[in-house]
Amino acid sequence: MTNPIQPRLTQVFRFVRCSYADGVAELVYAFDQGEELIERVRFPAAPAVPAENKHAFEAALKLLHLIAGVSYYKAGVPPKIELADGPLDDCTANLLDALYLHGLAEFAYRNGLDLRGRIAFPRSSEGRGEGDTLAKALHLPKRTLVPIGGGKDSLVAVEAIKQIGGEATAVWVGNSPLIAACAERTGLPTLNIQRELAPGLFELNRLGAWNGHIPVTAVNSAILAVAAILYGYDSIAFANERSASAATLEYEGQQVNHQWSKGYAFEQMLSEWLHTHVAVDLDYCSLLRPYSELAITRAFAKLTPYFDAFSSCNRNFKILGPKPADRWCGQCPKCHFVFLALAPFLPKPRLLGIFGRNLLDDETQAAGFDALLEYHDHKPFECVGEGAEARAAMYALSQRPEWQEDALIARFRSEILPQLDVAGLALEPWLQPSSEHRVPARLQAALAVIG
Amino acid sequence: MTSNAPAPLSSGASWIVMKFGGTSVATLPRWQNIRELVASRRAEGARVLVVVSALTGITDALKQMCAQEDKGKRIEAAKAIAQRHYDLLGHMQLAVPETLGARLAELAKLAEEGPAMLGELAWAALVQAHGELMSSALGAAFLTHSGLSTQWVDARDCLAAVALPNQNERTKLLSAMVEAKPDPSLNARLSQQGEVFITQGFIARESQGRTVLLGRGGSDTSASYFGALLKAQRVEIWTDVAGMFTANPRQVQGARLLQKLDYEEAQEIASTGAKVLHPRCLSPLREPRVPMLIKDTNRPELEGTVIGPEVREHAPSVKAISARKGLTLVSMESVGMWQQVGFLADVFSHFKQHGLSVDLIGSAETNVTVSLDPTENLLDSDAVAALASDLAKVCRVKIIAPCAAITLVGRGMRSMLHTLSGVLAEFGQLRVHLISQSSNNLNLTFVVDESVVDELVPRLHEMLVAAGALRTDDSALFGPSWQTLYGSGETVAAGDAWWRTQCRDQLLALGEQATPRYVYHLPTVRKQARELKTLASVDRLHYAVKANTHPAILRALAEEGFGFECVSPGELKAVMATVPESAPLLFTPNFAPREDYVWALSTRATVSLDSLYPLEHWGEVFRGREIVLRVDLGRGLGHHEKVRTGGSGSKFGLPVEHVDAFLRLADAHGVTVRGLHAHLGSGILDDKHWGEVYNQLASLAERIGSVAFLDIGGGLGVPSHPGEAQLDIAALEEVLRKVKGAYPHYQLWMEPGRYLVADAGVLITRVTQQKGKGSWRYLGVDTGMNSLIRPALYDAWHEIVNLTRLDEPATALYQVVGPICESGDVIGSDRRLPEAKEGDVMLIAQAGAYGKVMSSPYNLRDEAEEIIIE
Repeated sequence: MTNPIQPRLTQVFRFVRCSYADGVAELVYAFDQGEELIERVRFPAAPAVPAENKHAFEAALKLLHLIAGVSYYKAGVPPKIELADGPLDDCTANLLDALYLHGLAEFAYRNGLDLRGRIAFPRSSEGRGEGDTLAKALHLPKRTLVPIGGGKDSLVAVEAIKQIGGEATAVWVGNSPLIAACAERTGLPTLNIQRELAPGLFELNRLGAWNGHIPVTAVNSAILAVAAILYGYDSIAFANERSASAATLEYEGQQVNHQWSKGYAFEQMLSEWLHTHVAVDLDYCSLLRPYSELAITRAFAKLTPYFDAFSSCNRNFKILGPKPADRWCGQCPKCHFVFLALAPFLPKPRLLGIFGRNLLDDETQAAGFDALLEYHDHKPFECVGEGAEARAAMYALSQRPEWQEDALIARFRSEILPQLDVAGLALEPWLQPSSEHRVPARLQAALAVIG
Repeated sequence: MTSNAPAPLSSGASWIVMKFGGTSVATLPRWQNIRELVASRRAEGARVLVVVSALTGITDALKQMCAQEDKGKRIEAAKAIAQRHYDLLGHMQLAVPETLGARLAELAKLAEEGPAMLGELAWAALVQAHGELMSSALGAAFLTHSGLSTQWVDARDCLAAVALPNQNERTKLLSAMVEAKPDPSLNARLSQQGEVFITQGFIARESQGRTVLLGRGGSDTSASYFGALLKAQRVEIWTDVAGMFTANPRQVQGARLLQKLDYEEAQEIASTGAKVLHPRCLSPLREPRVPMLIKDTNRPELEGTVIGPEVREHAPSVKAISARKGLTLVSMESVGMWQQVGFLADVFSHFKQHGLSVDLIGSAETNVTVSLDPTENLLDSDAVAALASDLAKVCRVKIIAPCAAITLVGRGMRSMLHTLSGVLAEFGQLRVHLISQSSNNLNLTFVVDESVVDELVPRLHEMLVAAGALRTDDSALFGPSWQTLYGSGETVAAGDAWWRTQCRDQLLALGEQATPRYVYHLPTVRKQARELKTLASVDRLHYAVKANTHPAILRALAEEGFGFECVSPGELKAVMATVPESAPLLFTPNFAPREDYVWALSTRATVSLDSLYPLEHWGEVFRGREIVLRVDLGRGLGHHEKVRTGGSGSKFGLPVEHVDAFLRLADAHGVTVRGLHAHLGSGILDDKHWGEVYNQLASLAERIGSVAFLDIGGGLGVPSHPGEAQLDIAALEEVLRKVKGAYPHYQLWMEPGRYLVADAGVLITRVTQQKGKGSWRYLGVDTGMNSLIRPALYDAWHEIVNLTRLDEPATALYQVVGPICESGDVIGSDRRLPEAKEGDVMLIAQAGAYGKVMSSPYNLRDEAEEIIIE
């Protein structure tokens, strides 16, 4: 029996090794000289990796090891990071330094930590050129991995790809029945990858580890990059929207973005890294990048068959019941935002049927909606749209007779609206797509479908 | 012809109409069943007319064929439909009868032609009519072949659709009406042809000779039309359930079969939610006074529901409670409506204009609120937005949804209002948007938020029974519960109880010695404990000792390996004095003073907190300790919606929105949250509730790294009324196992109390005297609320028996009361018991939990002694 480790007093976080065999990737980490923490990622019915793709596969697997380490690193946030494989090239080290710093910014804020200057992945002194030259083409099959989250965004992406006749697979990591139900509803082939956190992490938590939000989209992205090479896909199309790039708040001079790994900066870095280190013909993008949350909810409002299956609620029920209350807690910022953003685009009785209640006619929800509107409060730490979008949606509802007597709409009209400039509240500008995205030519037709 | 055929019928023999639905005519065994039933009715000396639906799935297939524009695919579809019938004939070992052959040929021709010749709607009606035409032809062949000579009748030759004002071409052809009055000539015509007939449901013919459909519920309606035309002795609807129930059995397992209803009540129940019968099918029978009987095809021995004109004199009773979901309310507010001619007419014209049909209406001088049913038009178009815009020009309008209408049905509703006070109080806690009572006095409807309905309806049903508003004691009207007829769970068998069987004489002897006495039966405690130990998902069970702290019970449960949950230093001390050191202890107080925590932390007990205050103000007391956090999942997680207006109506638990603040305080004082605890309430008989709590606790725990176990509390229900289903422990295990699979890294704890000890204890007392007062008879016993306060405090129902006269007939109706000077000292009201005599030993069952521990010296009467049966 060794003495129990004290996570917050650890000195070194070590990337010990990673390996892959028979559909299972093993990612191994450790603190100081403590026990190994072994995470396993299981790829179902995995084919053998062709010899010509071996190099690309190894590169993707290494990146997964580096990125997935964030879940463990954060338990102790020790001052030093060690890599058993030796230092990284600049491009890779930049990606990881940025991911660990920005992806853990909310975690740091919540725990009163400052990670600036603390995160430094070892880099090789002779700046290797790999960051500048493209990797070779692997002639991957022209089909797309579309990660499904159970919420509306990925369903909009799926339907857009289906409409242009694109070949796609609905993929998800973990065993959420909500996501499984949504994935099945898409009618696409499905791929369910399992991620088993190292059991030692739970033990560390019990021993008082730091805990909080990690950039899980980055981990999932790295898993899908491995999957793309393994199964043969030329593209990974996430459904991250425009506002994911916006900071949630600024804290002691640092931008804190709850969803940094869903933002454009990370998308660009990872996409370029894949082109230079894995395969020049593996595209990583977000199909919804040009769109605001409101534009996406408008597109989703046409997808009636998903209404009784989806949920964006972050309570993340692992077991689903048949009632709306089993999918929508009605209390969290996600429930508030999705309700508000869908309201302008759906007949009121239909919307209320989805949620099983009217959140905007409930005075006790005032604080939650105020936070969305950035009235009296900063933006909550959830993947929700910008305050201005929420205000535009609220304003639109306040002009609709079927909504304007509801408690919180009436309150908005009497209390908040007089303080706002109506000129900035129009819905229409939010429905215009921007031109900023990295969607590959093959999938660009899908953008037109979304609107 | 078989030789044992019954004697031929006279021309004046009366008719029985029997209707069978799609699943009843889809297989050979079902047809054999029909044959038996028809033969038995014929043997009663009646002519029989069988009305059938299409084979199950065929009507849908025909509809799809109608929607198919491609001729080739239509022909394919017709072939597939024909094949279904060939297959069934194959099972029957019958050749294709000529009548069916002709139908199939016609269907093929219709598929080939498409709608062009007849017109879209008329063609569709004729295509869809083939489902019934084919099934009846097939049935005629089968019944005749099996020795029951059966004539095929074309329903279109008997049922003439009438043209009504307001009908468009679509409703004229696809949901037609027939005026069915007794028609002696039809009766005479058919009587000449034979004794057993088969015809089609769902179809009729209109004045131009075109085939029309009767719309939803059409086959039942056909049966009623025939019942009226032939002035039948009765119409029998054979379906998959024994009749109408006091509530939707899917919502209320204890719903009772309604054995007798009048037409109006039945129609009201059907209109407000019951699916077994379409409401329109009763009206044809009302005038000719033909009774309808609903029967279960699979269980023909069950009585079923008789709907007829006769209402023998009964005490007024609520017959059913139903709920309709998905309603949208439009509330219109304006001073302009007051005494203004035409205001409402203008308002309602907007509803008509936007194609929205109004159902319930409630009005005040300045407000009119109406309900809209969930139609496609409402859900998928801009109709509501457009309506609101128009209405906003003349009044303030508010759209309220999703709502549900809860309706109590019963003849003479107003005369029952006084019995409904408890029920009405329940509504007092909710947002009630509209109340409606029609002048026919058949119903009372409350429109509430839809989210409360699933939990509210079962509770109201129970309250209606308990309040004597739904008189389930009248066995002429109310049959067995759905649970008893169809449920899987075991029901409480009255003969089972230990006090009724093996210990009866011992209890009598104890009672004759001295009363009042509590008697506890340890084998029952052990049995319950072992039952719970079969919950393999539960890692640790704690007995909630507040239910009963008798040392013998504590010892017995310690031997069974239970831990102990205590809520006060007193309980902890009592437990520690009795159980071995190894038994785990929990200390879960509520609003306990600081010194209680200080002391509890000096013991081995695991301590729970359920508010911020102790850490805010006495943080040092807890420094470095591990604690359990008790949360109130309350409304935060979408549950307990009943307390919505009360919001924080319960003093227990930390509200979920304070959890983050709690964790910060815990961190600041070096306190580790090792467990999360939530408690639902008590008396819960539905296994799914624990799964929900467990699931919600687990999702909350994921935000807190240090949590190692989840305590989902107790509250395992113990049924009290005979016939109520017991908690299904195997089903509970299944529910828990599923959640555990999703969160394997948390240990699962439970803390049952009442479940372990309630049935193990009885209170025995002796009869002291009787008193008559008007029609009321009081039976006095020698103890009351001083010994057992649950009936007074919670309206709890305890079974009461006269142990001295256990086998005598229960002919008297007593109010069983104690000697305490409180009008609430009633142990049981309206109890059917044998005529009692002074000195008889009475037994009050299920008194093992919250009995002695809640007793008091009030009135300074002697306390009940406690006796243990090993």
